[in-house]
Amino acid sequence: MKKRIIASMLCVMMTASLLAGCGSGSSSSGETTDENATAWQDADYSGEDPQLDTSIKILSIWAEDNDNGILINKICQDYKDNVNPNFEWEYEYVSADDLTQKIATLSSSNDLPDLFAYEAGAPLTTLIDADKVLNVSELLDATDTWDYLSESAVSIMKDLSGTEDLYDLPLGLNVEGFWYNKDLFEQAGVEVPTTWDEFDAVLEKLDAAGIQPMSTGGSDKWLATRLINAYAVRTMGNDVMTKAANGEIQYTDEGLVVAADKLASWAEKGYFGEGVTTVDASTAQSMLMNGQAAIFYTGSWFTQNLTDPTQNTAGEDGIGFFNIPVEDESISSSTSYSMNCGNILAMSKDKMNEGTAWFMKYFIQNMGNVAMEELGTVKGYTYTTSTEDMDPYTQLVLDEIAKSTEGFAWWEAKMNAEVSSIAQENVQPLLNGDMTGQEYMQSIQDAYDMSN
Amino acid sequence: MNKVLGNKKAITLFVLPALILYAILVLVPVVWSLYYSLYSGSPGLQWEFTGFDNYVKLFSDKNFLNSLLVNVKYVLAVTVGQVGLGLLLALMFKFWLNRCKTIVRTLVFFPVVLPTVAVGQLFAKIYEIQPNYGLLNSLLSAVGLDNLVQAWIGQESTALWALCVMDVWVAMGFYSVIFYGALLDIPDDILEAARIDGAGSFSLFRHILLPLLRPMVITCLVFSFSGTVKMFESSLALTGGGPGSATKSLSMYMYDVSFTYNNVGYGSVIAIVIFLICIAGSMLINRFDVKEKY
Amino acid sequence: MKKVKSGIKGLIIFLICVVEVYPLFWMLTASLKQQHEWSDNPAYALNEGFYFQNYVDAWTRGNMSTYFMNSLICTVVALLFIVIFATTVGFAVTKMQWKMRDTVAKIFSLGIMIPVATCLIPLFQMYNRGGLLNTRTSLIITYIAFGLSLSIYLVQGYLRSFPDDIMEAAVIDGCGIYKMMWHIVVPLMKNAIVTVLVLQFFFKWNDLLFSMTFISDSSLKTVQTGLLYFSDEFGNKNWGAIFASVSMSVFPMLLVYMGLNKKVMEGMTAGAVKG
Repeated sequence: MKKRIIASMLCVMMTASLLAGCGSGSSSSGETTDENATAWQDADYSGEDPQLDTSIKILSIWAEDNDNGILINKICQDYKDNVNPNFEWEYEYVSADDLTQKIATLSSSNDLPDLFAYEAGAPLTTLIDADKVLNVSELLDATDTWDYLSESAVSIMKDLSGTEDLYDLPLGLNVEGFWYNKDLFEQAGVEVPTTWDEFDAVLEKLDAAGIQPMSTGGSDKWLATRLINAYAVRTMGNDVMTKAANGEIQYTDEGLVVAADKLASWAEKGYFGEGVTTVDASTAQSMLMNGQAAIFYTGSWFTQNLTDPTQNTAGEDGIGFFNIPVEDESISSSTSYSMNCGNILAMSKDKMNEGTAWFMKYFIQNMGNVAMEELGTVKGYTYTTSTEDMDPYTQLVLDEIAKSTEGFAWWEAKMNAEVSSIAQENVQPLLNGDMTGQEYMQSIQDAYDMSN
Repeated sequence: MNKVLGNKKAITLFVLPALILYAILVLVPVVWSLYYSLYSGSPGLQWEFTGFDNYVKLFSDKNFLNSLLVNVKYVLAVTVGQVGLGLLLALMFKFWLNRCKTIVRTLVFFPVVLPTVAVGQLFAKIYEIQPNYGLLNSLLSAVGLDNLVQAWIGQESTALWALCVMDVWVAMGFYSVIFYGALLDIPDDILEAARIDGAGSFSLFRHILLPLLRPMVITCLVFSFSGTVKMFESSLALTGGGPGSATKSLSMYMYDVSFTYNNVGYGSVIAIVIFLICIAGSMLINRFDVKEKY
Repeated sequence: MKKVKSGIKGLIIFLICVVEVYPLFWMLTASLKQQHEWSDNPAYALNEGFYFQNYVDAWTRGNMSTYFMNSLICTVVALLFIVIFATTVGFAVTKMQWKMRDTVAKIFSLGIMIPVATCLIPLFQMYNRGGLLNTRTSLIITYIAFGLSLSIYLVQGYLRSFPDDIMEAAVIDGCGIYKMMWHIVVPLMKNAIVTVLVLQFFFKWNDLLFSMTFISDSSLKTVQTGLLYFSDEFGNKNWGAIFASVSMSVFPMLLVYMGLNKKVMEGMTAGAVKG
């Protein structure tokens, strides 16, 4: 008797919650979408802020007192203090590693936050395809704020998502390239290289002088794949990875194999030191600043470490920057840089409303200046603040950005999540010599074939 | 006696509240994921009914088979290591230690307390090779074994074993405390009697202690086994699954598939496999228990 | 000869202790290091100076005071229920006589095998509908439900060797089931209970996955989420502050454990004498 009671109770409970779970989820949220979708675009955003009751949720990967976290919170506070006292915001911080899990969980219950940090490229494309994120072009049209975004940021982002419209807002405008320790270059008597042949010669000389030529974050993987990208782009053109992602060329194309082999050969010659696959990003960059390695490839976000005297023992003028060496100006020019907008800001389509649009208008109009005043960085928005008395490293980055005429993205930007994680994972066996360039590129091609 | 122990009201009161909570929060989600396993994509993102396609896919998925192999090796090494060394330590405490029993027992428990992130980082530093030799490589180099200096967690041949050492180390203290407790419960006169009969240390262990400890050994084996099958955090903290996918476990692969590849459906299938392996393994271990008892 | 032998034995045990305790010592030195020391010196080197800024950072940036409180509340409440449920259910399925007991025991033991990540999305959807997201309740009930299986299993292990004659004597003395439970079984199971307590405490205390998934309100977050404040999107990690924060959360717990441990020892010797 008891057996049956317990058993049937379990059954009822399970089916009940199962039904509740599947039934209500999809239907309820579908209806609200349509009502909101028509409302906010029809409003007129040209006049005074109507001070609507608005509360938004922001999901970010920056602590409130760090980088973009400072900026976002400052703008929210300013908006509340100066424009709309009826504005409330909730700011949540998760670590970058946990972001995709968090977004997957939230989107599975149709509960994406109003504003959230996300990865540009393939991850964002998934959300665009599922019709989850707001078409930011519509917002910019409605609020007439296109002029507040930097043109290069807009073109980078459109290019990354492969869409005509814009679906995200920038939170950075970074250039990537090689950072080098000036002391060590002097010791070995080498100059900044401008071609790949010179670059190889520099590595050789540094090595001969008993200096570890390069460091890279082999355990964080993405730093190592960028080196393959650097060589591949210069030898095959800025759009090589886009072509591969579109299937115009194979990932096993000879040129790409050569690029992968290039990285393997540096590792084999010991240019990265012993056990490069165990070195994380923090260690690799400290090694450059401490003079334990001469060259390190990374993006301009590195300035936040360079300007911190407790971390940068090389001092204000100890570290220099050079763009990726060139092979042939006609294939990829010396003024084209690896550029990106960092992690970007996307918006929930379902949650969008008039009040949020007013806030976003303020956000877009002020982000450029706030970023320049608070952090002295460019975030992909136009600014009017003067850039004098900037510290030398920040100035250096601004100068490089000013020189750029064209941009290209990173190695995995156009790969979907599966292909991208194979490309990153297998770079470790490539560095260790357990895989050849051919095998590495083949593994990427296999993953590509599997998922398309 | 039987009347007291058969008190139906008491049984209901003892079992039901916990059972209800457990059923709703643990069993329902599991059934739920069974239903998910028939779909591809993630709820809300390209969510399509695909029937048993996910199950078919499993057999041709190289990454899945690789992590299965990694996981099996890890389970065997770590389960045996944790329980075996735990037992060994407990025997040492019981027979070699006269003073400071409490302190030693407390000390060996310490590693369990540490968050996995901290343990992972500690071992990463012990195995370190660049920019400075870590503890292990320094020791090797100091005693002249320079040819053994290597990137322990950076190469496929040693990374998994380096990880196993870490996890055995973390838990052996815990198991030794459990075994030690069980050893103390064995009355001294049994041991005395055996000694007088002339039993040597090994036969004492084999014929007296082991049978008495059997239930505890089984419990610990099951416990350790089900923990290691689900290996996730330690590998994430020490190697991040690398180099390549040399230390990528089933759980890590499942997590990647579900949350990075946005394929919760397929991820659920992998979860079910993990679950089934756990059940099969535990049943196997429990066999030994049953045989002895009846 | 005998002296040498016991000396060697002592030495081995001493070495084991060193191996087990070293990490705590290392963590302390690590928590006092400046960032550049991590690559300048080998990791086993002692800290160059006492860089207490790490602790200041950990306390303020990691929001330790709030998070500590939250962790404590969630963990303690969950533990209370886990212990109650584990003893009662454990007793009912091992010692009491009823038809379904083996089935129920098996159902509970299944929980040990379930990979936690599978349950995340379903649980999230349930709490979302039930309005439980962003409440301590959601964390507490999840902790209880996921702590039950293992705890019951451990209690069962202890109870199997629990002498029946003690219970029989109690019944003859006229004890009812509740009285027997409270006055006979629980005191004798002190050891098992403390083991469950200690073990579950560290599991719950170190939980990141659940708290990250269910809690987004920063006034309700737990200690482990505070660690996130010291790494950034590009893989930079402030190890000094991370270890300072881990040390601060671990050492009070160690003291509690050491206090408890004495109790366990007393309980156990008492039990051993009786046996």
